[in-house]
Amino acid sequence: MNHTNRILDLFNDKNALEEKYFMPFLVCGDPSIEQFISMIEKIDPYIDILELGIPFSDPIADGPTVQEANMRAFEAGINTKVALDTIKKIRTFFQKPIVILTYYNILIQGSETIESSLDNTLRRFKESGIDGIVIADLPIEEAGLALKYCKKHNISLIFLIAPTTTDDRLEKILKEARGFVYLISILGVTGAREKIAQITKETIKRVKSKIKTKIPIFLGFGISTPEHASTLVELGADGIIIGSAMIDVIKRNLSDFTKMEKELVEFVSSINNAIK
Amino acid sequence: MKYSGRYPNKCGKFGDFGGIFAPEVLMPALNELTEAFEKYRNDESFKKEFYQILESYGGRPTPLFYAKRLSEDVGCKVYLKREDLLHGGAHKLNNVIGQALLAKKMGKTKLVAETGAGQHGFATAIAGAYFGMETKVFMGEVDIARQAYNVYRMQLLGAEVIPVKIGSKTLKDAINDGLRYWITNVRDTHYLMGSVVGPHPYPLLVREFQRVIGIETKKQIMELEGRLPNAIIACIGGGSNAIGIMYDFIEDENVQLIGVEAAGEGLETGKHSIALGLGRRGVLHGSLMYLLQNEYGNILKTHSISAGLDYPGVGPEHCFLKELTRLRVETATDNETLASFQKLSVIEGIIPALESSHALACLEKIKGEFNKDDIVIINLSGSGSKDLNIIKQRMEFKVK
Repeated sequence: MNHTNRILDLFNDKNALEEKYFMPFLVCGDPSIEQFISMIEKIDPYIDILELGIPFSDPIADGPTVQEANMRAFEAGINTKVALDTIKKIRTFFQKPIVILTYYNILIQGSETIESSLDNTLRRFKESGIDGIVIADLPIEEAGLALKYCKKHNISLIFLIAPTTTDDRLEKILKEARGFVYLISILGVTGAREKIAQITKETIKRVKSKIKTKIPIFLGFGISTPEHASTLVELGADGIIIGSAMIDVIKRNLSDFTKMEKELVEFVSSINNAIK
Repeated sequence: MKYSGRYPNKCGKFGDFGGIFAPEVLMPALNELTEAFEKYRNDESFKKEFYQILESYGGRPTPLFYAKRLSEDVGCKVYLKREDLLHGGAHKLNNVIGQALLAKKMGKTKLVAETGAGQHGFATAIAGAYFGMETKVFMGEVDIARQAYNVYRMQLLGAEVIPVKIGSKTLKDAINDGLRYWITNVRDTHYLMGSVVGPHPYPLLVREFQRVIGIETKKQIMELEGRLPNAIIACIGGGSNAIGIMYDFIEDENVQLIGVEAAGEGLETGKHSIALGLGRRGVLHGSLMYLLQNEYGNILKTHSISAGLDYPGVGPEHCFLKELTRLRVETATDNETLASFQKLSVIEGIIPALESSHALACLEKIKGEFNKDDIVIINLSGSGSKDLNIIKQRMEFKVK
């Protein structure tokens, strides 16, 4: 069951890099499984790729907003098995690429060995309909097994690049990167920020200068407004990733789901307008 | 067995264990730390400065004390390595002086650390004051409540104690938040890891700074007895006091190395911290190790009467030594620990930390294995003065 990879299809077009892309991030199962699925259906028209967090109990790269979303999802009963079922349900109506973000430990449990668990978990995620994966605590140095099984199951393993990533490591990462690269726009954990750092501009320039193949650059971490988004695409980002600011909308409206969906749609449509 | 100098390898691996499972933002800082450590670990002037501080400021060497009455009681020769007498009241000082000195050489101006029992946070606050470095200590709210005295001591030393309000609000969550802080402030800040856990190079450098315990112990026991001990017993939370005393004995195959994990309220209750004994392989806080986790890979809440052992994982080198069958793993419950705590206080006039009392409790359980001339060394890793509130509550409760 090696479906085509929707990320690679999306960027295969030779004019693909003329376009700008929006990938919102939500934690799978936040605030509840049913509401989550319903929200995806509502925001579908305004987004290009969907990024889903599969919660881990100890997410060291995430700020308080995502941590709280994880807690809500855990309370709603999320785990790997439920997440797989949820993605399958989303796939009944959602045709665009899906990327999951998780931590390595979530992927290496369930079978006899770490390697067989990784093989098995990635196969099950692929069968559920995902196209790419971001592993927040897996640097290129430890990614050998993950690369092997992502290749086997035709999943794009998406690497993170930070402002602090040195040139020699950047080259190693770009050599293995598939789909797109995820550039961390700030020095820090996830979470909405008020300003875009100057450092971002330099990092985009530096990464672009190293890219030899035609791989898009997506920016994430700290982006919270349409103004941020348009500034970053002007600086050369091909795609924008927004998580915490989306989750803030959920958090603000926990008692009123209709309003939550309405505000979420307004937010994604404002980002979509800002970059296209 | 040839062991020394082979582990970890260049990638930070002890067999399959260890490694660098860290967010990308931290990778340059970890690589920088590895480079600095490799540069200074064999630098004579660095080593000299390190030992000189531990001697003149810390009180090294600590005594290896023949516990005569305890020996008579258990029926073998028991020696206590008195790390409780080190400045700060625990072995933690060795590590913080080493890391803070290294950080200073690297040009870092700030220290950030996590703490469970408060011992490592207190030690970090001492190092921060000694070296004039701004210090922040992340501590779970649950731990803050049970270690109020240590919080106050850290504050007296000028450190800022930051409460961690998420997750189980204990050590593992303090590490999470400490690492998050470091991710955001990586340029001028050194993350001072308190145990032999975390991504490479931490398990290596913490071990190297704690090795002084075992090096001294070996010299002292040869002077006192003219032979090596039959066994060394140490408690294991993250595992720094255990690896510290054991490392220089790994190749002495006739010396049993026994690590004691916290069985909490008992195996059957699920309220324990037996990561080596009952955990499954997984990745937490940057390192592959045995972990207490559910079937989906989420980390379980752990329990121990001693905050310092209340951790769902265990250092990668211990995992590897267990796999090599070089390390024997035992457990002690809260109640067994309290009984041994009380016994040592009464018969030797030494109030041990609850952590170290696990090692004493283990000896009590396996004393039948030793003859009267056998030598057992216990790493008395810390003083119990920090635990008096908990002891008082528990002992009164027992009397009722």
